[in-house]
Amino acid sequence: MTIRKKVSLSKTLSTAFRKSIALIIFFALWQILPTVGIINRQFIPPIGDILVELGKLAGTGEIFLHVGASMSRAIEGFALSVVVGIPLGFLLAGWFKTFQELLDPLLQVFSQINPFTLFPIFILFFGIGEIAKVAIIFWVAIWPVLFNTINGVKTIDPLLIKGARGMATPKLALFYKVVLPGAAPLIFAGIKSSIGTAFLMLIAAEMIGASKGLGFMILNAENNYNIKKLYAGAFTIAVLGIAVTKLVVLIEKHVITWKDTSAI
Amino acid sequence: MRRDNTVLKEDGFIGEDEINIKKVAIRNIIKKNNEKIVDERTIPNKNNNNNIKIVAKNITRTFIVKNRKEKGIKEFVAIKDINLEINAGEFITLVGPSGCGKSTFLDVLSGLSHPTSGELYIDGKLVTGPALDRGIVLQGYALFPWRNVRRNIEYGLELKKIPKKQRREISKKFIELVGLKGFEDSYIHELSGGMKQRVAIARALAYDPEVLLMDEPFAAVDAQTREVLQEELLLIWAKTKKTIIFITHSIEEAIFLADRVAVMASNPGSIKEIIDVNLARPRKLGDIRTSPDFNLLSHRIWELLNNDEAKHEIKEVNQNRNIAEEISPTVNL
Repeated sequence: MTIRKKVSLSKTLSTAFRKSIALIIFFALWQILPTVGIINRQFIPPIGDILVELGKLAGTGEIFLHVGASMSRAIEGFALSVVVGIPLGFLLAGWFKTFQELLDPLLQVFSQINPFTLFPIFILFFGIGEIAKVAIIFWVAIWPVLFNTINGVKTIDPLLIKGARGMATPKLALFYKVVLPGAAPLIFAGIKSSIGTAFLMLIAAEMIGASKGLGFMILNAENNYNIKKLYAGAFTIAVLGIAVTKLVVLIEKHVITWKDTSAI
Repeated sequence: MRRDNTVLKEDGFIGEDEINIKKVAIRNIIKKNNEKIVDERTIPNKNNNNNIKIVAKNITRTFIVKNRKEKGIKEFVAIKDINLEINAGEFITLVGPSGCGKSTFLDVLSGLSHPTSGELYIDGKLVTGPALDRGIVLQGYALFPWRNVRRNIEYGLELKKIPKKQRREISKKFIELVGLKGFEDSYIHELSGGMKQRVAIARALAYDPEVLLMDEPFAAVDAQTREVLQEELLLIWAKTKKTIIFITHSIEEAIFLADRVAVMASNPGSIKEIIDVNLARPRKLGDIRTSPDFNLLSHRIWELLNNDEAKHEIKEVNQNRNIAEEISPTVNL
């Protein structure tokens, strides 16, 4: 038993090393090259300076104001897209199949339109306030969720449905015991990809018209030629994005414990 | 479901409430033509013979085949006038060539598909849909990949709203019965084909149905595993005293397992002859295979099946096989 544990420990350590080595070298170079003067620190300040700047921003509370504003927009838009997208996907794929077939080309076109070009139209309709920003995030985040839910329901093995029917499964139980768990892996894939697009759109929306939020902070820092603050903002966005994705992966692992990893 | 030149309409799959006037018209024509039509009020008298579990009366099942090229609809008779009485506790096998309507008949027995005409009674009660008095085991296992072995087996028990503690006890019993102790927490993708089929059998038995319907359950496993599973199935049958209806295309399997073998003919699917198997039980495949009685039965069934094939032109058979494959059980949500 102890030998096995030792082996697995050294294995974890070596995996951890392999996974982090590229990052370590990257950050080391980021620190060294501007300090030594190979890279102009006017444009790329060393990572240490950026972290100090981030500390200052945290000290004044400014960064939390922006993070709070950004996160609430992202969460509102994303949550709305999940709350609308998943049930809509089930309805279209499960109960209104013909309607879904008719609607599909339109939905595909909508999802393909560049959301940045749509933003001025959204502002036209919803004004420059919060609603326009949440609406555009909702718009970009709903497509992956919706399409993946439809796909998830459609690709459930018909044999499973037949087997469940043969055991006299009532309609409601058929939904939550067979259709829902059967579609879950693809729904999670959709949620993950919609988080990515939601973040992308969030920053863009905040750059177009906002008085707070990380996107605004970056744009404002650039206008005032505060390069350290600009990097601090970018750094925060990256960390937030990674953290949210990790959270969803964690939830996914908790919900879908049965995944056949060898097949994926 | 959609192929280039044909669009198929399945009628009668439960949950599909699409009204098709043409279907009704065809149904009426069949009823008129059917001389042996039974009065729907005459329910077989249970007291006449206590032993009879299942009565199939003139079961006919047709599918509507739309042909785009000829711009018309065609009727495909999958099974025609099947009459069969199955005793309680009996092991009956249905053997026949592919496309003879074996699976269609099993779908009717399970209640997944309604007969176009004719009636099916279990314990004297008309069958109108699936119920937990029949367990089904399908060739493709149909196990839920998101449930482990134990929870797959407990599925029917959950539907029966049996409390968790009792569910655990029952599933434990059946996991031991099919020899899967130690694999309770494994997920389906971690099991071999033979083990999957054991889970499927345990799942069907766990909610204690009186009838077990098996649609070519061992067709997908390798030859050695199949022989082991066949012998184990006979042991399980002896222990649980279920009525088993078992579909196969293997003559050997049909004889080895059964009290009676129903030999089916295609075009349209029907029962050609029912052959009694009077081989002593308990049976061992090694002994049975070499016995003269087995060879006689085997030859007899082989002849019945081969005559049937020879009657039709090969082309026609092939054509109908294609249709049969297309209408073979695909269930919509």
